[in-house]
Amino acid sequence: MTRAGHLTDLGVALGRVFVHPAYVLLAGALAILTFLLAVLVPNFGLISEIFADASVPMAAKLGIALSLLGGIGTNFSLLSAGYTVAIAILFGLTVAMIAFSIRQRSIGATRRSIALGSGAMLSGVLGIGCAACGSLIMGAVVPFLGIAGAVAMLPLDGQEFGILSVALLFISLLLVSKNIAESAACALLPDGGDQGF
Amino acid sequence: MSIAGFFRAVLPGLVLFATLTYAQDHRASDEALVNRIKDAVIRELRKSGELDRAVDSGIGRYLERQRAEAEQRERREADARTSKLRPVSKSRDHIRGNPAAPVTLVEYSDFECPFCKAFHSTMKRLVNESNGQVNWVYRHFPLDTLHSKARKEAVASECAAELGGNDAFWKFADRFFELTPSNDRTDVDTVLPRIAREIGLDRARFASCLASGRHEQRVADDLREANATGGRGTPWSIVVSKNGKTYSLSGAQPYAAVKQLVELARGKQ
Repeated sequence: MTRAGHLTDLGVALGRVFVHPAYVLLAGALAILTFLLAVLVPNFGLISEIFADASVPMAAKLGIALSLLGGIGTNFSLLSAGYTVAIAILFGLTVAMIAFSIRQRSIGATRRSIALGSGAMLSGVLGIGCAACGSLIMGAVVPFLGIAGAVAMLPLDGQEFGILSVALLFISLLLVSKNIAESAACALLPDGGDQGF
Repeated sequence: MSIAGFFRAVLPGLVLFATLTYAQDHRASDEALVNRIKDAVIRELRKSGELDRAVDSGIGRYLERQRAEAEQRERREADARTSKLRPVSKSRDHIRGNPAAPVTLVEYSDFECPFCKAFHSTMKRLVNESNGQVNWVYRHFPLDTLHSKARKEAVASECAAELGGNDAFWKFADRFFELTPSNDRTDVDTVLPRIAREIGLDRARFASCLASGRHEQRVADDLREANATGGRGTPWSIVVSKNGKTYSLSGAQPYAAVKQLVELARGKQ
């Protein structure tokens, strides 16, 4: 299929899925949740400690948690901030479209989309981890795997994982779009007749 | 639960008990009968809703226990990390701002980390605008796997402190972050002597100190401590209140977040 064909499928599928407010909500909620996780993960310990402390006023708890979201501008490079936002949006869209696809019982390419999407999220976690100097993931997982030196030798210090994640999520989105777009059409029968759904 | 409900729930159990006792006494091992009675009891318990309620309450208790254990574990880990934090010492540490301030922020930093460079400006502003309410302690956390030059630069900053005291250390750090591009792109052979000259140090003694390696142990100690307190990347900061309460902060967080955390620590007198 041509590039234009993929993009046409994407447009058709987006139109079919996001005409339903429930899927818009699902995609939006997942995108926001993914973004929050990416930005706040390094300080989960601090946030849970503050929220568990009954002596801290709620306004102060919320104020600190919200101000930590500003870390996207100070604790991320321009590249990593860009792919973090892209991963969050693509993840929300892909999961909402997979959910739609499953509900339509057209699960042909959906399995591949789910597999690709899972790989993309794993890569995204590493990519987001590599955004800062060190980081939770780099500090805990990479030395354990014995590849810290290898990651440091990558030209973008591991931010390649984030870019890979965006690419995998986009392919996953195209696959599920194709599935949805095709299920909306009528397949031709060998004798020239058509098969409606 | 109503009395009728109570009897509905308990009666089948009594029947089962009596039947089993009877069966045992008479050595009549009629398994089919026992199974039928068991089924009847379970059916009755289900019908009365007792079974659901017991399961719900069991799950609720389990979840509550898990939550409490997780909270305790988190607190224990935080306490353990805090105990690894070496108390601030005027003779050893580099302190910026009012040494008697009610809040101290201990920062573990890497001279080649771009986020540490950004956070350095945030911290300068915080101390300058705090009216003596917060001081800043700088300790070393060179990430050798990412920045091979950071350790040497940390040692150089200690040489600056040895030759020119606390002020010279901070002048060195400020100028270093101003001049260098981070991410191991610093030309140390040019930049270090230049900063030494600019801040008024004896260049020969500075070079001799750097070559001696006598501050390497101190940098290694700081690095070990950063790891022990939970640091997994730089900058890694610990805000300490007057009463010893600590809050750990990971990364170059915005001024607003650090300021609010300091305010929170100020309240913990």
